[in-house]
Amino acid sequence: MGAVAGVGLVGPSLLAACGSDDKKTGGNGGAASKSLWFENWPAYIDEETVDLFKQASDLEFRYTESYNDNNEYFAKVQSDLAAGRSIGPDIIAPTYWLTARLINLGWVQEIPFDKIPNAKNLVPQLQNPGWDPDGKFSLPWQSGMTGIAYNIKTTGRELKSMADLFDPAFKGKIGMLTEMRDTVGLVMLLTGEDPATATMDTAEAAFAKIQGAKDSGQVRQFTGNDYMDDLAGGGFAACIGWSGDIGQLALDNPDLRFVIPEEGGMSWSDTMVLPNGTEHVANAAIWMNYVYDPENAARIAEYVGYNSPVAGVQEIFAAGDDFQKALAESPLLFPDAETTARLKVFASLDEDTEAAFDERFSSIVGA
Amino acid sequence: MAADDDGDRTKRRGRWVPFGLLSPGMIWLGLFFLLPLVTLARTSLSVKESRFAVDAKFTWEWSNFTNAISDYSEQFVRSFIYAGTATLLCIAIGYPVAYVIAVRGGRYKNALLGLVVVPFFTSFLIRTLAWATVLADNGPVLGMLERLHLVGTLDSLGIVQNGGLLSTHVAVIGGLTYNFLPFMILPIYVSLEKIDLRLTEAAKDLYNNGWQAFRRVVLPLSLPGVFAGSLLTFIPAAGDFVNARFLGGPNNTMIGTVVQDRFLVQLDYPTAAALSFTLMAIITVATLVYARLLGTDDLV
Amino acid sequence: MATDRSPETTAGRVGRWSLTAFATAGFIYLFTPIVVIVAFSFNKPAGKFNIIWRHFTLDNWKDPFAPGPLTDAMILSLKIATIAAFVATVLGSLIALALVRYRFKGGALVNLLLVLPITTPEIVMGSSLATLFIDWGWQRGFTTIVIAHILFCTSFVALTVKARIRGFDWSLEDAAMDLGAPPWRTFSRVTLPLITPGILAAALLSFALSIDDFIITFFNSGSEETFPIRIFGASRVEISPQINVLATIVLLGSVSLMLAGVLFRRRLEES
Repeated sequence: MGAVAGVGLVGPSLLAACGSDDKKTGGNGGAASKSLWFENWPAYIDEETVDLFKQASDLEFRYTESYNDNNEYFAKVQSDLAAGRSIGPDIIAPTYWLTARLINLGWVQEIPFDKIPNAKNLVPQLQNPGWDPDGKFSLPWQSGMTGIAYNIKTTGRELKSMADLFDPAFKGKIGMLTEMRDTVGLVMLLTGEDPATATMDTAEAAFAKIQGAKDSGQVRQFTGNDYMDDLAGGGFAACIGWSGDIGQLALDNPDLRFVIPEEGGMSWSDTMVLPNGTEHVANAAIWMNYVYDPENAARIAEYVGYNSPVAGVQEIFAAGDDFQKALAESPLLFPDAETTARLKVFASLDEDTEAAFDERFSSIVGA
Repeated sequence: MAADDDGDRTKRRGRWVPFGLLSPGMIWLGLFFLLPLVTLARTSLSVKESRFAVDAKFTWEWSNFTNAISDYSEQFVRSFIYAGTATLLCIAIGYPVAYVIAVRGGRYKNALLGLVVVPFFTSFLIRTLAWATVLADNGPVLGMLERLHLVGTLDSLGIVQNGGLLSTHVAVIGGLTYNFLPFMILPIYVSLEKIDLRLTEAAKDLYNNGWQAFRRVVLPLSLPGVFAGSLLTFIPAAGDFVNARFLGGPNNTMIGTVVQDRFLVQLDYPTAAALSFTLMAIITVATLVYARLLGTDDLV
Repeated sequence: MATDRSPETTAGRVGRWSLTAFATAGFIYLFTPIVVIVAFSFNKPAGKFNIIWRHFTLDNWKDPFAPGPLTDAMILSLKIATIAAFVATVLGSLIALALVRYRFKGGALVNLLLVLPITTPEIVMGSSLATLFIDWGWQRGFTTIVIAHILFCTSFVALTVKARIRGFDWSLEDAAMDLGAPPWRTFSRVTLPLITPGILAAALLSFALSIDDFIITFFNSGSEETFPIRIFGASRVEISPQINVLATIVLLGSVSLMLAGVLFRRRLEES
């Protein structure tokens, strides 16, 4: 066993030297300071911004899209962050609740806002948010709304409330999200509870309702973004969905609608954070400053279709071409104050409560 | 005779040669297969202090096993039913295919075998996604069933659920069957091919009935192939989660789904480890029982 | 000879016909998804998911290897498969040689250790290997994927080569040795040519297994994305037609390789 332990100690450095990981930031001293690596979600940026940024900043910018799932990513990097090792990317964009977890665990660094003058463009409602009360550790990438997405041709009528998703007429044609906070949050609003102050007790009615719908076959599937084609094709009559997805699809297919339920909807953000161990903090600041310039933010928002966290984008669209003018008018991209007032952000949960929620939800989803 | 030659050869070249040849591979297997299983065993009897702690304390925590089995008995049972049904279907579909190739293939044997293997040069995930397309609500299969007015009957049988073929038991079993079919066809083919054709001819003459000849002579001789194929189908199928993910819904999850969730979402390594060992134990028992049933001794 | 065969009964004929029909249906079943995969490489999906047929287009084929995460993933898969197949073939062939050519104590144990990885569910192997790497503090990435792939390929190689070389006539080797040829020469001139076909088959098998592996890689890939991992990960957000194009190319490539192998062997047999 001692020999094995010896191999275990020497092995990693040996193999890391032979392997073609360019995990460690920078190969040689000189080039190290000019590199930057942003690992983002797939399909979350337009095609030009990355190249434009490389030209404008003269940095060696690496943009990858292998961040597919918050939980999977956390499981991948947990042992490294816990041991204080670098995970590779300089910037990642976890969803707000994972950001909160990372901040609480002390695994992210403070963002040098003194180097990001454009951060002043951050829309007021996202300043000092619940997941980052001091606002020092995160800067939103995109925001979005969760509500009901439905195909009016399949449903035959307009839907207004989460109660419609439990209508037996749609049995087997309802989808819900694997994103626990969005699904449970919306159902909590239906059962009269406030997700912004959620506890296991207040959420119990919602859990029971979802469980019942799953057992009876009312809910056909718990999905990620893959509800879109089922919705368009008629596999789903209605599902819980995200505003940006429908915004894009509805341009082609006017049968697809998105509505914030009467009881209220959920608001969420994917935020940029700097994991511990990364040395390219200054470079990261350059990127963040770049994407918080309203021109660049508008270009990204036009492609992605979600709510830009940068103020001034709506004005740029209003002065643009026809497509952009239509976007400026879109209630999905720029919800009015009345809609925004009905949106809730799910409560920040402590470690034990979060584990309880995740366990309960996993048992419903079948895992 | 030959045995003496072997002995002399060994003496001539030195006793260490076989061990020299074996060691690189054996060390690799020992280090990266056996040792992880030991680590897994240790983890299965450990407890984590908190969800985000990386280490687990070894405390002979047998309750991990009892909790795992009671909490997830539904998925365990479902996995074995799915895997078992898929194996039986693979035998039902694969045996005739293997038989036709081996006995009637003639010059085209290799080409036909190639045809069996070719679909599997595409990625396993892509094949499963393709089935999701085929079985989709507005896909060809459901369309055909609707035109034949069979949907209602199939719905009451439970094959179609709520007017759809996806997120059903049938879809997941179908996916499992498809993905492991070559693992059944190839071993059966190999064992059928070894049978001397003159034996089958003699048997046909003897029994004056093709079916009897098959049942009394060919089938027993091909059982080692059926056994090997069943193992290569049942074992991976029982631990799969990809088919359940793409073709099934929340009521069709398998034990693989649970292990994956425990490991990656809940970060509950002890339970994941306990589930893995329980899965292996049940598979081993099932294999031994199956071997006894078929009466085959010489397997590998 | 077989001229005294009893006349075929109608039942027998029906039986034969239905058997052939059934087997043909089996082949059609095997190829259904393949037809779908190839067909959908020509589809222009409405959104990000290439699951519903819209209309025909050749656009996807214009630049199949366009730079992007899928192409990177494919290249990574090929890299890993090449390394893993090579190492596994060496390790496995050595084991097979030892088992077949030498008699020694512990042969049964070696066999058992070879068979165990094949009969262990992938999810168990994947998660246990990941647990080991976490324990040792090894960052999961390229190296760990290669290690995992070599692991399961070695077993397959050893068993395949063993099966292939079992029945060989080794007297040629003895003759060479008796004539005074040194062991290394005997090996390279006599033994190696005999066992090469088996080794090649095993190497091909390893390559295919490594490229297609998903579950074990899933637990041990860290941030690296092989082709199956990329498809799975991105499948929540998009299923691009490029996947179908690349898959069709791999399919055509492997079919051509197989045909080439068959033609090559025919040419050898004729000459």
